[in-house]
Amino acid sequence: MSEQLKITCSGCSLLCDDIIIIKDDKEIKEILGACQKGINKFNQIKSKNRILSPLYKDKGGLKVLEWDLALNKAIQIIKNAKKPLIYGLSTISCESQILALKIAKKIDAFIDSNSTICQGKFLNIASEMGITTTTLTEIINKSDLIILWGTNIVESIPRLFSKILFSRGKFRMTGREIKNLIIVDIYKTASFKVMGTRDLAIIIRPNEDIELIKILKKAVKGDYTFPNEGISGIDKQDLERFKTFLLNSEHITILPGQALLNQKTNGDAIKELLELVNLLNNIKNNGRISLLMVGGHYNMVGFEHMALSETGKNQSIQFKNGESIKSDDNIISKIQKEDFDLSIIIGTDPISHFPLEISKILSSKPIILIDNKKSGTFLIATLILPTSITGIENKGLAFRLDHVPIQLKKIIEPPSLIQSDYELLQKILDRLNK
Amino acid sequence: MEMILNTIRLINNDQNVEWNCQDVEFMEEHLAIGFINPLDFKKLYLVPSLKLHISNNHGDVIVNFKQDSKIPEGIILMPVSLWANQVTYVKNNNIIYKNIKVNVEGTRDPPTKLNELIEKIKSDKI
Ligand code: SF4
Repeated sequence: MSEQLKITCSGCSLLCDDIIIIKDDKEIKEILGACQKGINKFNQIKSKNRILSPLYKDKGGLKVLEWDLALNKAIQIIKNAKKPLIYGLSTISCESQILALKIAKKIDAFIDSNSTICQGKFLNIASEMGITTTTLTEIINKSDLIILWGTNIVESIPRLFSKILFSRGKFRMTGREIKNLIIVDIYKTASFKVMGTRDLAIIIRPNEDIELIKILKKAVKGDYTFPNEGISGIDKQDLERFKTFLLNSEHITILPGQALLNQKTNGDAIKELLELVNLLNNIKNNGRISLLMVGGHYNMVGFEHMALSETGKNQSIQFKNGESIKSDDNIISKIQKEDFDLSIIIGTDPISHFPLEISKILSSKPIILIDNKKSGTFLIATLILPTSITGIENKGLAFRLDHVPIQLKKIIEPPSLIQSDYELLQKILDRLNK
Repeated sequence: MEMILNTIRLINNDQNVEWNCQDVEFMEEHLAIGFINPLDFKKLYLVPSLKLHISNNHGDVIVNFKQDSKIPEGIILMPVSLWANQVTYVKNNNIIYKNIKVNVEGTRDPPTKLNELIEKIKSDKI
């Protein structure tokens, strides 16, 4: 018999909780309301690239292993390692993240999440300077200006605009009519297509965002005239409009993207942006300006919270003798220095994201991959332990991009003998504790 | 010709989706790709049958290309992928995904295959 359920999509960090599915005992028949990316997530259930049994690579290639043997193999590899790395963790539940942290503690590993190469850079700088954040509800109800800075939301978090820009809120009853949009990017991405006549499209020369932020800081303080020729490829008139928007909007939300993290002087653009935000918050008499991080993985934020509560640090944690110790490394520096002899990769694909020089070093040591699908990392891993898909085949807690916890449901049974990340990590921890 | 390469996320050229479909040819078509301005197409003396050879101190790769007048001159955009990883690099413990100086030229050689990239990763040669 088929039934209709309202569920949460774990296709990205927006965790849309308004998806309707029609399912029977065995499978999902129809998905209503999810975007293309969300549909892709559901398509993973029956995808050709599902990993359906543990696999071990020896000289003859990949061999299928029984679960008991595979777990013994994992324990043997882990126990042989003196400097293990654990990396990924942004696409598993919070409960599983806590288990991964416990394993890291048990084996004196260095543990890091994808956030390190993404929004974590922002948070590290913000931890020194402070950051004003916001929630989706606040943006919906109060924001009258949304600024996308170097991020193409329409293709990375596809339904975010429909939630925050095209929605009506308690104090924004006319919805899109009263919500303005500024997009800063080096070219007209798909996100520019939603722009109306009152919005402001800023096409900036690559790597010059910091110049724009600096000049906006001067401008909002007053007593400053923009140069007639403009700056960084932006017209004087557009700069004036940008300033007017910043000073006259009541509740501003900035969504910063990778472009700001990858400026010529590392981190400086982020510092400047945080200073601009603080400055405007001091100048403004009513309303406020805040930031919303737009990391893509559905539980990247969850790891920051779990790690912080378990260890006092939100990422890049080195354990020694069962304690977290001070370390200035991140996953990249650990690999670059070859300061590891095993990597345990959980729910991510570093080989498809890391530069060749880093992937080569990573692949030169054993890799245990815990994931539900094949990937670049699958092609070079030593031992592969498959898991079910959280939010579809098992439940768990995740944190939305605005740090709101959301419970993910189990909707259907996983494939035969496939367990959740939580169950698998618990088994590994139990065997390590024996 | 010297150009600036930026990696980007595109919904129709998303490695997560391509891995999902597991059709290597389809994946190569959608990820081994660079987007350039038509004026750069002319400056590079390209014809549709050619491919782009992209290189810098960190590595090199051959990809298909598409012209897009929205892209500023001198910029080449590539989806985040194993192909783009051939020219991305690390600076101060951070991966540099944007504003990467590369040399771009037309070539008659075919786009780099997925298995070639994997072999490159596995090989001892740096
Ligand atoms: S925006 Fe994200 S969470 Fe919402 S349906 Fe699309 S993929 Fe799923």
